[in-house]
Formats: sequence, C-alpha cells, structure tokens
Amino acid sequence: MEVFLQLVISGLVNGSIYGLVAVGFVLIYKCSGVLNFAQGNMVLIGAYIFWTFKGPLGFGLLPSLFFGAALSFLFGMIVERLSLRPLVGQSILSMITVTIFLSLLLEGVTCIMWGSNPLSKADIFPKGTINLGFFNVMIDNILAFCFALIVMTVLILFFQYTRLGLAMRGVAEGHQIMQALGIRVKKILTISWGIAGMAGTIGGIILADKIGFGLGLSHIGIAAIPAAFIGGLESPLGAILGGLIIGLVESIVSGYVGNAAGTPAAYVLLVIVMLFRPYGFFGLERIERV
Amino acid sequence: MSNMYYPPSGVQSDSYKKDMRIIKTKKQAVIAILSLIVLFLVPVIPWINSTYNLRLIIGSGITIIICLGLNILTGYCGQLNIGQSAFVMVGAFTAGLLNYNFSWPLWANIIPAGLAASIAGVIFGAPSVRLKGLYLALTTLAAQIVLTWIALYYISLASAGFIVDPPALGGIVFDTPDKFYYIAMVFTCAMCFFAKGIVRSGIGRAFMAIRDNDIAAEAMGINIFRYKLLAFIICTFYAGVAGALFAHYMMWVQLESFTLIDSIWYVVMIIVGGLGSIEGTIFGVIFIVALKEIIFVVGPMVEGSIAYLPIGAGSGFLLVTIAGVAILFLILEPRGLAHRWKIIKAYYRLWPYGY
Repeated sequence: MEVFLQLVISGLVNGSIYGLVAVGFVLIYKCSGVLNFAQGNMVLIGAYIFWTFKGPLGFGLLPSLFFGAALSFLFGMIVERLSLRPLVGQSILSMITVTIFLSLLLEGVTCIMWGSNPLSKADIFPKGTINLGFFNVMIDNILAFCFALIVMTVLILFFQYTRLGLAMRGVAEGHQIMQALGIRVKKILTISWGIAGMAGTIGGIILADKIGFGLGLSHIGIAAIPAAFIGGLESPLGAILGGLIIGLVESIVSGYVGNAAGTPAAYVLLVIVMLFRPYGFFGLERIERV
Repeated sequence: MSNMYYPPSGVQSDSYKKDMRIIKTKKQAVIAILSLIVLFLVPVIPWINSTYNLRLIIGSGITIIICLGLNILTGYCGQLNIGQSAFVMVGAFTAGLLNYNFSWPLWANIIPAGLAASIAGVIFGAPSVRLKGLYLALTTLAAQIVLTWIALYYISLASAGFIVDPPALGGIVFDTPDKFYYIAMVFTCAMCFFAKGIVRSGIGRAFMAIRDNDIAAEAMGINIFRYKLLAFIICTFYAGVAGALFAHYMMWVQLESFTLIDSIWYVVMIIVGGLGSIEGTIFGVIFIVALKEIIFVVGPMVEGSIAYLPIGAGSGFLLVTIAGVAILFLILEPRGLAHRWKIIKAYYRLWPYGY
C-alpha cells in the first residue's frame, strides 16, 4: 500500500510536468495545426536559461524563474517568426519536418552555449520528508506538484477569461473568420509559440529539479505526446488531465512491471484510447466519415 | 513551366500502355544500361572502392529500400508513418533469429522477414480505419516504442545482440563490403523497379486517390480500408526486406540499431527528396547520407580548433549548420529535390526554347 501511494504521488508529479509540456503541444496544434517536435528542445533551452540565472549569475529563485519564463517566451516567439512563419500555407508534412530540424538546431544551440555535459545541480525546492502518519512524503514532490498546479490554473484562467485567450481560442477555430473580425492572426500565432515555450519551460524546470540539468531533459517531448493526444489535441484542460493520467499509468506500470515499461504502457494506452475515442477525451470531434 | 510534364520530343503515346513505359526512347535505354554498368563496376573503380565508401553506399542502398516503402505509404497513400525503423527491426530480428536458430540463409529469410514485418504493419495500421493524419502517425510512433519494448523483454538476445551468418551463393561468401555490394545493389534496383511498378498500376492510382481526397475516393468505389492496409503491408514489407539485408550485411543484430531517431530520419529523407516520387526517394537518401557524412568528418576537426567553448560545441555548430541548411531548404524548396529534378529535365527538353 505504501509503495502504491508513493507511486501515485510520483506519478502525479510527473503527470503535472507532462501536462505543462503537453499544453505547449496543444497550443501550437490549435493555432497552426502542427505537432511541434521541437517542444522537448524548447523545454531544454528554457530550463538551461533558468539554470544560467540561478547558477552562474547568482540570482535568487524567483527572479531566475521570472527571467527563465520571460526569456523562453521571447525565444518561442523568435523561433516561430524565423522558421514557421515563412511556411504558412505549406503542407503540414513539411511544417512537421521543419520542427524536427528545429529540434536538431536547438540541440546544437544548446551544445554551443552550454556544452553537452550535464550541468551542475541547482536546487529549486527544499529537500526533506514529511511523515504523514503512515507513510513519508518528500517535500520537493509536494511543492513541485503545487507549483505545477498553480501554473496550470493560471493558464486555464488565462484562456477562459482574458481577451487574448479568447482570441487564441478563436484562431483555433479558423484563421479567416478571425482576420475578418480584426484579430491579427500572425501575432496570435507568435504569442502562442511563446506561451508554449514558457509552459514547457516551467515543466522542464520542475523536471530538472528531479533528474538534473542535462541534454536528457529534451526526452520529455516524446514522453508528453501521449498526454496531449489522450486529452485531445484541441484542449489545454484535456492536455493537463491527459498528463496526469499518463503520469499515473507510467509510474504505476514502471513500479510493478519494470522500469523500462512506463513509456510503452503510456503509448499502449494511447492506442487503446485512439481506437475508441479517436479525438481524445476533450478533443474537437470533426464529423467526417472515412 | 514547373508543373507541366514534357515527354521527350517525338514520342507519341498513342496507347495507355505506351504512355506508362518507364523507358520511352532509345537514348533513355542507353543511359539506363550504361548507368547500371557503372553502378555494378563501382567496387573495382580505384579511388572510390575503399571499404569506407562501399560501406556508405551499401548503407544508402538499404536505406533506399526502407524509404521506398515509406514513400509508397506516406507519399502516395498519404498515411504518415513515424515508426518505420521498428518494422525494419522486426524484419532484421526475424531473419537473424531464423539464421541463428535454424541457420537459414539470407535467400530463405527475405520473404519471412518481409511477412513478419507486414503482420506487425497490419496490426499497427488497422487503426487507420478510424484515424487520419497526425492521429494515425501517433499509432505508428506507438509501434516504434511498443515493438522496441517487446523485443527488449521477450527476445533475450535482443539488447546484447547476436551473430548472423553472411550470405553465401555457390562457393562465394559475401562477407566483405566489396562482395556484399552486389547483393545490396541487386536488391535496391529490383525494389526500385518493383516500387515503380506498384505506383504505375491501378493500386498506385487508388493510393493517390486516397491521398488526394479519401471521401471522393470512396465515392468512386475504392475500398479505402483495404487499400490503406495494403499500403501499410507494402511499406512494412519493404522495411522487413531491408531489415533482413541489414542483419546479414552487418552479420550482427542488436536492438540499438533501430531507434526512433532513425524513423524520423527516414521521414526527413523522403520529404527532402520529394513525397510521391520514386526518384525523389533516392535523391533524398543520398542527400541526407552525404550531409550526415559531412558532420562525421568535419565535426571532430571543428571541435579541435575551438578550445574556449564548452565540450560538445563543435558538434553543436554542425547540428546548427545541418539543421539550418535543411530548414532553409524546406522553406525554399518545399516540394523536394524531385521537383527540382523535374525542372531541370523540363529545361533540358525545352532548350533552347524554354519559354
């Protein structure tokens, strides 16, 4: 029982990270119909920027978080402007290929700026355990989960209640209508890349607190894809819930079956969900018979 | 000018059969035969025939087979597959295990390897009944991850690797690159012509109809599910055959040779080369293999000359260069190298009146 509860807790923490990264996938897919394979590397660069402020530059935790988030927002916008904007109107396949090359490019940039060796550790959350009567919980896990939850809530409130969020939801419905209504679609696209980078970065920072700052951080991109799809590619809320589901499944399966079985289990779950609900749990169902 | 098709001058296609010929003029026949001769003389040409170069060419040949299958599925039938290297793995392990346990030769393994990969392809292609586009691509990504895991857990030799015999014919053992080169080239050419045949036939036209508009295709009486599955079967059969060749060529099968990154590179190759084009597949493979080779050769040199940057900066610069070139290429030439090839051909045929 105690093992199971521990697995549930670590699953929820991982799941919240997956959720944050998956929100990035969803945002970009909603606005431009592209699955961004470079999301994992954007997460990596964001986390490294945070590390630079926290470690070598010696800023405090909150300022570095702020700078990490702000710079990754800017970075996402620049990436969109330089690589994806010229391709608006091209086939989806070439846009996806561009994101694949983008992930190589970003990895190269990371290697130039920070080198390919893992960076030194930078503690974010205080370590330690709390005894909850019948079992022990690690403080950093609880704090990480709460932090991720706060960020997620802010994101959902942003989409639901601000004008910009409304415009972003509108752009997802159709570019021409939004242009006719006087919304600058290109600006919205750029901003959505920025927010995607920022949300992913916060997930990456939480993850880096657990596994350290290294190039391996970018694998979160592949691991978070099922979360985005199970939730439905059109719904940020779905992505967050999908992330939590995937995190739980992964953690429990890898705890009871074997360490390497986690990600395959997530993908098996993905295929099963796809067979019965092809558009995920919260996705937009397009009525079209094949 | 770029979208139009210019047949060689003086060729009248007065019947459908004539219009579908691959080789239409005597000049083309001569060029084809000459280039085949040159292709098969490569191992005896000095300067080129180093073991390193031959290994590179054999590797490209096997990759061309893999990408041909992928291009039939993705380029002609419009179904994205980002798990191709898992199907190559199924073929390689089938051939390898048949050889390891029952010492079957390559010639007997080709078909079982292709069929085993096809069965895996049918299982993971079946969701295409209900899924389209990105969602279907995700089930092939799942194939990559799940099949790798199955191999890791249920084939005890998979992660450590095991020895496979080199192919033999009569008294000749094809165990060095200059000998295996002939096997690789025979298979690559045969598979190219096979692919060209498929896409010229009614099956190929059905694939293209599904790619262009699946609802319209169904309205015209094409059984979409059957043809989509057929495309998956053909694609994964190619992968399986290539896997069997790979196993017998490397004389060693190991799980680490078949990763998600490889699958993504295959997709990149066919997009750079040109979707829905057999020649394009070949161009794309050669282009990407050459780019990667530049990285391997220039990378260490660059790394040695810049000492003040962090470790790994050299490979970083090259990654930035290759990816930057490729992104520029995709922005400027989104229809692939095959399109450029068409323009060059049209220019040649219309010269000197190219307007």
